[in-house]
Amino acid sequence: MAINKAIYKRGKTAGVFPSLSSRRDEAYMNFVEDARNLLLHAQQKPIGEYSKLLLKNAGKSMEPDPRSTTEAKELLMKDNVLKTYYRIKRTLQESFWECTYDSLNMRKNDLLQALDDAEKIGPGSVTYDPDFSIPEYATAEIHIQPGGNANEPLSGLLYDYGSKVFMGGAADNDMFADMQASTVGAPQDGKVNRILDLGCSAGVTSSALKRIYPDAEVWGIDVSSHMVRYAHARALEQNHDINFKQMLAEELDFNDNHFDIVVANLLFHEVPVSVSKKILSETLRVLRPGGSFTLIDFPGDKTRDVYTIFFGEMDAADNGEPFLPGFVRSNVEEIMEESGFEMSPYDPNKFLLAGRIGFKPNN
Amino acid sequence: MTDKKSNDLEDLGNLPGFKRGNPTYFENEVIDHLISITLELGAELWVVKDRLAHVEEILSEENKLSLSSLNTGKPSALLQEQLDKERKQIIKRIYGRLYSKYGGESAEEKSAI
Repeated sequence: MAINKAIYKRGKTAGVFPSLSSRRDEAYMNFVEDARNLLLHAQQKPIGEYSKLLLKNAGKSMEPDPRSTTEAKELLMKDNVLKTYYRIKRTLQESFWECTYDSLNMRKNDLLQALDDAEKIGPGSVTYDPDFSIPEYATAEIHIQPGGNANEPLSGLLYDYGSKVFMGGAADNDMFADMQASTVGAPQDGKVNRILDLGCSAGVTSSALKRIYPDAEVWGIDVSSHMVRYAHARALEQNHDINFKQMLAEELDFNDNHFDIVVANLLFHEVPVSVSKKILSETLRVLRPGGSFTLIDFPGDKTRDVYTIFFGEMDAADNGEPFLPGFVRSNVEEIMEESGFEMSPYDPNKFLLAGRIGFKPNN
Repeated sequence: MTDKKSNDLEDLGNLPGFKRGNPTYFENEVIDHLISITLELGAELWVVKDRLAHVEEILSEENKLSLSSLNTGKPSALLQEQLDKERKQIIKRIYGRLYSKYGGESAEEKSAI
């Protein structure tokens, strides 16, 4: 069976992203991406410096503790410059989802047919269950993406293009995923035969891992059938042999000691802390002794000043991240250690999204 | 171990983005709407400028125009490059002034990610 190219009817944008349905939509999204970029670049300077000046002039401490953080947040929330900044950010986020959703829905039947057709061909595979029970936490419209990841049939395509705009070009040509995958820890003995990507969404990290370890068997799992369907089609387009399966990261359907490497790229801030603990326990079970687990996510609040905490919480709210604040307050490094991982040093000052790397003990 | 109290997220309920429906950031929601209207106008202005440049390119090279080539075609790589540059300048000129008083012109150019 030949590949159904309906997803790429208008070609690709920025290397890998399926172009939107019309030039009009593409131009609109280009505008939104650049306007968002202006905000992202202003995050530290001038907005960050301006915010810190406001706090300093009001005699507020930058050291995080519950009282000073609450007072600082109240002060910053009253400022009209900052209100304007966050209003613009939210409006742009709403705009890019609306445009992407409408653009893809114009071709909905063709796109879903292409995903159906892709299921039947390899390399790689996709497996899902139409009767899969989705936990309530996973039905949230994270990122304020219409329908969320689990309930919208086009969620994989939506997420892929949306993340391009959200990342302001950093995700173009899969650059960001390749860079993150390059930081994934190798097992202590260096032997890599099987890799698992937890919460793989559109499969971008799974593909990046396949490029680093082309001979390894790579699995990507996600709670959403719509995500793994698109992830397979995307990997197919890149000619990557990857197996995608609908599965909960907290209930892994793999044998004990099965994987050499497990990766969770930006999964943990999308789940409640109680679920994180179950995921860590399952990860340890499926890793072989000496195998590595890399948890890529945001740094915890204990390493941040008051302004950065405020910015992070506003960002979480504007980006529809109900579980992000809980994650950054949870001290996941400590939870990993308590779960049984032997931890490597972790330094988010070198790179915001540095991985926390843990190994399954050999004994 | 995780402090249960530190995971209490009740204090975040007042953040506009976490509120259901259309969040408002200003006491007077008209200001929220006006900002959104301004952004939408900017985006639609850019759509028109992009289309005009595309029309000009097609006419100057082929001397005939079809709606399908405008709607689903793409401009040449050279024109796209020029458009990307122009769009960034326009956005900075229109919206950058919001922060110019606070040093907006010196916004960091490196990736914020």
